[in-house]
Amino acid sequence: MSKPLIQIDDLVREMTDEEHAQYLEDIANAPSFPADPADA
Amino acid sequence: MPVPDFSPGETLTAAAMDSVGLWLVKTQAVGTGVSTIVVNDAFSANYDNYFVTYTGGSASATLNLSLRLGTVTTTEYYGNIIYALPNNPSAILGLSNNNSALWGFAGDGSATGGARLAVNLYNPFQVLRTGMSVAYMGTGSSGAPFGIYSGNHNLAISYTSFTIGTSTGTLTGGTVRVYGYRN
Repeated sequence: MSKPLIQIDDLVREMTDEEHAQYLEDIANAPSFPADPADA
Repeated sequence: MPVPDFSPGETLTAAAMDSVGLWLVKTQAVGTGVSTIVVNDAFSANYDNYFVTYTGGSASATLNLSLRLGTVTTTEYYGNIIYALPNNPSAILGLSNNNSALWGFAGDGSATGGARLAVNLYNPFQVLRTGMSVAYMGTGSSGAPFGIYSGNHNLAISYTSFTIGTSTGTLTGGTVRVYGYRN
């Protein structure tokens, strides 16, 4: 399964294992609004 | 310093150019389907304070855009967002980042509304704590949050780069622009 893409300046590539681990941690800890805003 | 008043064909002097208050430091086009964007060489000794924007892109889902100085996860990101929803404006709400690894409400995106970010950063290059203020603009309509977000990175570290992240989903297209405020 491919990993998410990271862009570093003009370079777009799959995340390394280390970057992916950080990404997953960021997603897990991402703050959010109590109710999803209407996507209108 | 006087306000610049240029004429067509005029040779611009160093003094005239040095009086320009806001200078475009870097432009970064965003690719397709990216979850994280690292912008290098954004901050330097030339400017103390910066204005960072991301506009013109699309988001795959309703998401928040985060901002981290440099690329490495740390702690010590603090911030409060005060916001309301247009369909319930009497309820003024608040959320915090308390010793987080990033600032979590730097921008917004939605599948139908695009993605936007507008952040002022104060002293990111200097070996000082970095301040941050954001005009949070939900990209939806009546149910989208609009508010003000400000905070502090509680470490006196010099940074030259920053990272824009997504709380979920991906970004496609648009442009990140970094402006320096003339000291």
